[in-house]
Amino acid sequence: MEVHGYQILEGLLYTKEHEWAKQEGAVVKIGITDYAAKTLNDVVYVAAPKPKSKVVHMKSMGTVESIKAVSEVYSPISGEVARNNGDLDTHPELVNKAPYGEGWLVEVTPSNFAAEAKSLLDAKAYAAYLNTLLAK
Amino acid sequence: MRPVSRTTQLYDYHAKHAKLTEFAGYDMPLWYSTTTEEHLAVRNDSGIFDVSHMARFEVGGEHATGFLEELVPTSVESQPPGKAFYTLLLNERGGIIDDLIIERLGADRYMVVVNAANHQADLRHMMDRAPSGLAIRDMTEDSAMIAIQGPASSASLQPLTDLDLSQLKRFRCAEAKVAGEDALISRTGYTGEDGFEVIVYRTSTANPQGALKVWDRLASTSAPCGLGARDSLRLEAGLPLHGSDIDQETDPFEADLTWVMTAGKTGYVGAGALAKYRDHGPATVRRGLVVESGIPRHGFEITVDSSPVGSVTSGTFSPLLRKGVALCRVKSDRSALGDRVGVLIRDARQDGTITKPPFYDERLYGWKRQKGN
Repeated sequence: MEVHGYQILEGLLYTKEHEWAKQEGAVVKIGITDYAAKTLNDVVYVAAPKPKSKVVHMKSMGTVESIKAVSEVYSPISGEVARNNGDLDTHPELVNKAPYGEGWLVEVTPSNFAAEAKSLLDAKAYAAYLNTLLAK
Repeated sequence: MRPVSRTTQLYDYHAKHAKLTEFAGYDMPLWYSTTTEEHLAVRNDSGIFDVSHMARFEVGGEHATGFLEELVPTSVESQPPGKAFYTLLLNERGGIIDDLIIERLGADRYMVVVNAANHQADLRHMMDRAPSGLAIRDMTEDSAMIAIQGPASSASLQPLTDLDLSQLKRFRCAEAKVAGEDALISRTGYTGEDGFEVIVYRTSTANPQGALKVWDRLASTSAPCGLGARDSLRLEAGLPLHGSDIDQETDPFEADLTWVMTAGKTGYVGAGALAKYRDHGPATVRRGLVVESGIPRHGFEITVDSSPVGSVTSGTFSPLLRKGVALCRVKSDRSALGDRVGVLIRDARQDGTITKPPFYDERLYGWKRQKGN
């Protein structure tokens, strides 16, 4: 679905800080939303946590930067980083081109997914949230 | 309480085509497409910027030359009519009130172009020192200003004017018609590239047709660029931004701008304070910095062997270098070109090198580039 021209995918979980999470087997893939990517305009640098580092639910886990701005990335869930997206080292623009696809940031082995997932928004709730935010 | 934002004469265009941002009290375009695309359009082709927010003062009267002579460290009297020059307004302590361009239009007539953020401060500074009979006219509201920048800027602007741009050398200016409007064209800019800044006379937010006509015609051949690209371009060229890299507490020696000081000139505001440097240099100095990983930002600490030696005053990602670059203030004894330093970026120390901007290869980019590249 689309809200004010920003794409939102069904089946993902969202934060109010504009990250998404998607369970894929034993890991949860994390990225930033189309809205976050478009607001940054052109992502030129991604500082994602390294494998084996711990991330904590709604704590900063890194930054995504455009030429002008630095944006903190909050981890939707707690756990240990299994893998980060090495393609972003040389092609950070993938975050803009495919925020829900090739522009993913990290895969995390969750430690408390079931409980933390309850505090995240589904696509419909995130769409409603974005609508309220942009109506201001 | 926040004051209501002002708009330039091109606001309707920006509101329709750009992401807007507030700057110095104005609603300005931040980007139209992406900052990177706009940046590269200026380096490789040409781009246009609405810089109408910059303040413009026309100074005239028989004492105009002497008046300006007392305000800046650059010789005014030796500039012929038709010459534009970059200089500084200093306070009594030698600190930089603003950096500016002065265009000499005639024997007793000048256009003074200053930063939007310092509009009122500069005007006060000038008014306080104006002799009787001198006219200072604030032209900001009833003129517009458009910058055309890049190696193809001449080709973009030439069809709009009868003035032969090939005869208008860098840092020269001339009044001419542009798209039928009375205008002042100078071969100046804030990107490091060849280019022009056009002041369109007799146009206002109530009557913006003249400004819009010039903009629309230029936009058919040049990419509209926002403040995002304006900042990344000026940083890549190593040009300081007043309020970030230089300020009232920085003097021309610390700012590495002593080249604006005409040798032997005395008697201008701040000259006395600067005399202290006759025997020794400043404790800190402005330099360029390239980092190997990450993007340096304003306020980040610079270290040598874990000891602080300075800080970043403004930084960005260079689309040409594909690296983080910055202007910084470092201790003079740690300012040698090629010196290795550390930069603290988000708790991690990144390797950096002290340089002298511009950050790009001047054989390939910038106004000095070899033609044909």
